[in-house]
Amino acid sequence: MPRHMIARNRALRVFRLLLAAAWLAGGSAAAQQQQVTLERDSPLYAEPRLDATQVTQLKLGATGEVIGKQGAWLNLKTAGGAGWLFSFNVRFQSQPVAAGDSGAGSAAGRLFGPRRSVSVTSTIGIRGIEEEDLKQASFNPEQMKLLDGYVATKEAAERGARASGLAPVSVEYMDAKQ
Amino acid sequence: MIGRSRYWMAAATMAVLSVAAGAASIDLGRIFDVGRDLRTAAVGLDEKDEIAVGREVAGRTLGAAPLVPDPELQAYVNRVGRWIAMQTERPDLPWHFGVLDTASVNAFAAPGGYVLITRGLYDMLASESQLAGVLGHEIGHIVQRHHVKVMQQSAAISAGARAAQRGDRGVLVNNLIGTGAEVMARGLDKGSEFEADRIGIVLAARAGYSPYGLVEVLHLLAARSADDSSLALLFKTHPAPGERLTQLGEALAPRVAALPGGLEPAIRPVDPKTPPPAAAKPAAVEGARALQQQEEGGTTIPSGGSLLPGGGGGVLRGIFGR
Repeated sequence: MPRHMIARNRALRVFRLLLAAAWLAGGSAAAQQQQVTLERDSPLYAEPRLDATQVTQLKLGATGEVIGKQGAWLNLKTAGGAGWLFSFNVRFQSQPVAAGDSGAGSAAGRLFGPRRSVSVTSTIGIRGIEEEDLKQASFNPEQMKLLDGYVATKEAAERGARASGLAPVSVEYMDAKQ
Repeated sequence: MIGRSRYWMAAATMAVLSVAAGAASIDLGRIFDVGRDLRTAAVGLDEKDEIAVGREVAGRTLGAAPLVPDPELQAYVNRVGRWIAMQTERPDLPWHFGVLDTASVNAFAAPGGYVLITRGLYDMLASESQLAGVLGHEIGHIVQRHHVKVMQQSAAISAGARAAQRGDRGVLVNNLIGTGAEVMARGLDKGSEFEADRIGIVLAARAGYSPYGLVEVLHLLAARSADDSSLALLFKTHPAPGERLTQLGEALAPRVAALPGGLEPAIRPVDPKTPPPAAAKPAAVEGARALQQQEEGGTTIPSGGSLLPGGGGGVLRGIFGR
């Protein structure tokens, strides 16, 4: 093999190694950011149900890594084992972010935030409306006319819902703590 | 010469503002039927009044931030919102939904069926079920007449002040809402916010969505830095997202197995061609004050008239303090 080919192969190998290292580093950083902290003592269940077998009892302040979600439940990997936790009992680690950051890069953002790249807005620190602006605002008839023009009829709303496969379900209102 | 043109600019600004103030008084005067005793109106706002008050407040909010210039998006949010509102006991209110072109993260409800969500919040959402949860919360405030109840309470408190102004209906009505807003500036009570959260969950579920969209949004908000300026107003006027999650969790735990799974349809994003929102302009009053300061010592500025149209700011703060 000509010498320059060998050198190129070697360079390629080094490049691949660097790439792998970068990927690993990125992966572990992502894992770190998927961490949640227990807000209160809570059982970790084998399945996403309150009557499922308990894997372990987690203590307030314990941490876990989110590996999935289903309805009200988070699939967690913890020191005490993997299982399902009632999602209300954890908080995602908040990142100290620059003012106006959309939070899309946070753990919560990766799990619950948009997959699309957003037009935003809130990531670029534009001054938004604040209390003072609202206090001093006056009626805008042109914008109100626009708002009136966008109103949807019940029929349009039903058509839209059907197109998304939505059908009404009977669900009772709930009381505070039962 | 320069000083003189400044004077005229200032005078013109004042003239415009006074006209605006006059117009606001007249509009507000029409809110209540002429001849009806204001005390009755204050204590028992009927649905017509409620809608008129909400419309006035929504129009003023649009004066602070316009709608995102994406008609398809606005029509879409109206279809989703109306579908959710149809699952309530007040399906026939004149439901209006709009996305405000501001980077702030917030959503507002005004009485009578007006719901506005900011682009800053909309851009955080990943699914239509999350949008449903947010709209459901605001719809909950309206269905339960949370703001109207607060206005009525504060109106009762200030009956004496109103009696003193019986001669001028416009001023009277203005003060009714304004005074009510003074009280509402302290915000809705936490109980109303927690109730709206529970309603938001139920309405999303009734509309066929995953009930947990709002929960996901609260997790997103809880993970945002508390000193993030785009959330300042939201955090000031609502219980902390973590506290809301705790309350919701306690209410939901017994119901969680029975709740339907629901769907999580994709959300329509803001048209990528839409330019980012303009930075909110410094409020007009500040501008007028600056002019006045510039002119001080040189030229006299007409004074005595209120720069604020009819104390409307109070209404906004009160109703939108939430």
